[in-house]
Amino acid sequence: MHWPRSFAPRLALAMAAVVLVASVCGAGWGWLRAQSALRQQLDLVLAAEAEGLIRDYENYGLAGLAEATRLYTRRQGPIFLSLAAPDGRIIAGGVPVAPVTLRGFATLPRADDGSEIRALGALLPGGVNLLVATELAPVNRAAAALAWTPPIAGGAAALLALALGFWLARRLERRLAAVSQAARGVMAGDLTQRLPQSGRGDEFDRLAATVNTMLARIETLVAELRQVTDDIAHDLRSPLSRLRQRLEAAVGAARDPDADTAVLEAAIDDLDGILATFAALLRIARAEAGAGRDAFSDLDLSALVEGVAEAYAPVVEDAGRSLATEIAPGVRITGSAALLRQALANLLDNALAHGAGGISITLAPDGSLSVADEGSGIPEAERDNVQKRFYRLDRSRGTPGTGLGLALVAAIARLHGGELALGQGPGGHGLAVRLRLVPAPQRDQPRGP
Amino acid sequence: MRILLIEDDPATADYLAKGLAEEGHVVDRALTGKDGLFLALNEPFDIIVTDRMLPGPDGIAITRALRASGIATPVLMLTALAEVDRRVEGLEAGADDYLAKPFAFAELRARIRALARRPAPAAAEATELAVGDLRADLLRRAVTRGTRPIELLPTEFRLLEYMMRHPGEVLTRTMLLEKVWDFSFDPTTNIIDVHVSRLRRKLEAGGEPSMIRTVRGAGYVLAPALGAGHG
Repeated sequence: MHWPRSFAPRLALAMAAVVLVASVCGAGWGWLRAQSALRQQLDLVLAAEAEGLIRDYENYGLAGLAEATRLYTRRQGPIFLSLAAPDGRIIAGGVPVAPVTLRGFATLPRADDGSEIRALGALLPGGVNLLVATELAPVNRAAAALAWTPPIAGGAAALLALALGFWLARRLERRLAAVSQAARGVMAGDLTQRLPQSGRGDEFDRLAATVNTMLARIETLVAELRQVTDDIAHDLRSPLSRLRQRLEAAVGAARDPDADTAVLEAAIDDLDGILATFAALLRIARAEAGAGRDAFSDLDLSALVEGVAEAYAPVVEDAGRSLATEIAPGVRITGSAALLRQALANLLDNALAHGAGGISITLAPDGSLSVADEGSGIPEAERDNVQKRFYRLDRSRGTPGTGLGLALVAAIARLHGGELALGQGPGGHGLAVRLRLVPAPQRDQPRGP
Repeated sequence: MRILLIEDDPATADYLAKGLAEEGHVVDRALTGKDGLFLALNEPFDIIVTDRMLPGPDGIAITRALRASGIATPVLMLTALAEVDRRVEGLEAGADDYLAKPFAFAELRARIRALARRPAPAAAEATELAVGDLRADLLRRAVTRGTRPIELLPTEFRLLEYMMRHPGEVLTRTMLLEKVWDFSFDPTTNIIDVHVSRLRRKLEAGGEPSMIRTVRGAGYVLAPALGAGHG
């Protein structure tokens, strides 16, 4: 049997059993209560009857009572009456029990079949014994009938619970089987699988929706990871092959200390380039995975931008260009100082290497940071591409660089909940790179003097 | 100097130990964090160089344990590329410097020298620095060479102050980027050379002999000019 391994029928079965046990116990208790209540009723009836007969005796004497008894007995009602002389001789009527002199209530066995008879005896003056009696069997039958009602209803309820449990279990199993199948698909590597939804919007659908969102996120992350792996394979292989060729050629050539030193130094330069690429890739990957947020702190973005601008100012001047800054004071942000510094440095490196004319750095009070130059800019169609890893414009292939600078800036912007946008520089030419960052809420009372 | 090297990769450990021994240092090696911590706690060293990722207690735990025991031996922490962003964590644990792998040996050598000659805490509060005939008043931010006053921009003053705190030591570009500009990365643009050559021009504007020497493939040294009148 497989159904007890499923939750709903187990629950249904347990509930049916509980209902059944409770109704059987209730039946026993109900029977006792009903019987005792009905017997009390019966005793009251007997007492009322005896009252009436004693009144007859008081009004009409023994002869009147005997007459009433005989008349009543002839009618053969449900109540037996008998009137016995002190010596036990029956004057009138008859109760089908062994001869007895009784005062008060008693339950006696019937003379012929032994079934119970309830009797009330009264001693009249002169030692005459009046017996008023009736059979108990109808009362017992009524008590039993009353007592059996709850177990019958309980049994029906238990059966219903069982049926409902099986139906629910079948439904649940069908839905879970679909979920299970989708999950197995994901496990087997098909990350596009999603859990089915019934469209009813119930708790199953809500759970499935949450799991589907999670699956979508996993799919994106894995796709990004694959992209990184492909990029690394593609872009690290060429410099590594170049390095290998260089070393192979040197091994094959005649030994010459000067030439060997030159080759080794060039090899170290090659390796440094590869390591720089590698470091940038790792930083991008970490930033995109959201790593580093735990190291975020509240920092003064204005001061940070000022510091980087100061570091670059002499370099820009030496290149015969100008650096203008327009930095709103006191802009605070929650973020990583190291990464934000690197983002701005990358933008300035780009402006120096690929741009032309004056460079301007602007930090607006809303936390948007832009670096603009007056060079030839980037065609609109290429603006998305340059944010991708290793993408380089054809005209800049000859210049040094890893092709990862803007990709890292974009990743850093996203890590800080912002974004990177490329546009035209002031006056409609050149390039403006804008980093939208979210400034920290202003403190009510700035600290310090 | 006696140096404790805690490094679990035998090839790297051999390479570093050999290089440091050639420099005239005595190098004790430990291959696990446990051995390293035991040595560090029980024997006197001038410098401890430890990898960050180690079997047993890692570099951070070792540094914390040392500082908790009141041992102030300078610690230089080495780390793989992936953890570069974790620099702050290492420094907060009590490490004195942090160097990302892979590095040029010259970089390690320069940093070890800088750590070994770390100025005593009292000297850090000095209000005036002097190297040869060059003087810097830290309170007034005024610099003179001999009797000639030199006007410096704030960045140039910070650069000079750092160099004057480490006279005669090779300061690499990476060290200057980290200590003067707080850059934990190498920008494509060589900003250090431009700043140093500007500073050098200002220091020699009166026709004095050069004080900043370029060490090829390594960095820069600030030292009293050879044959200077005040020598």
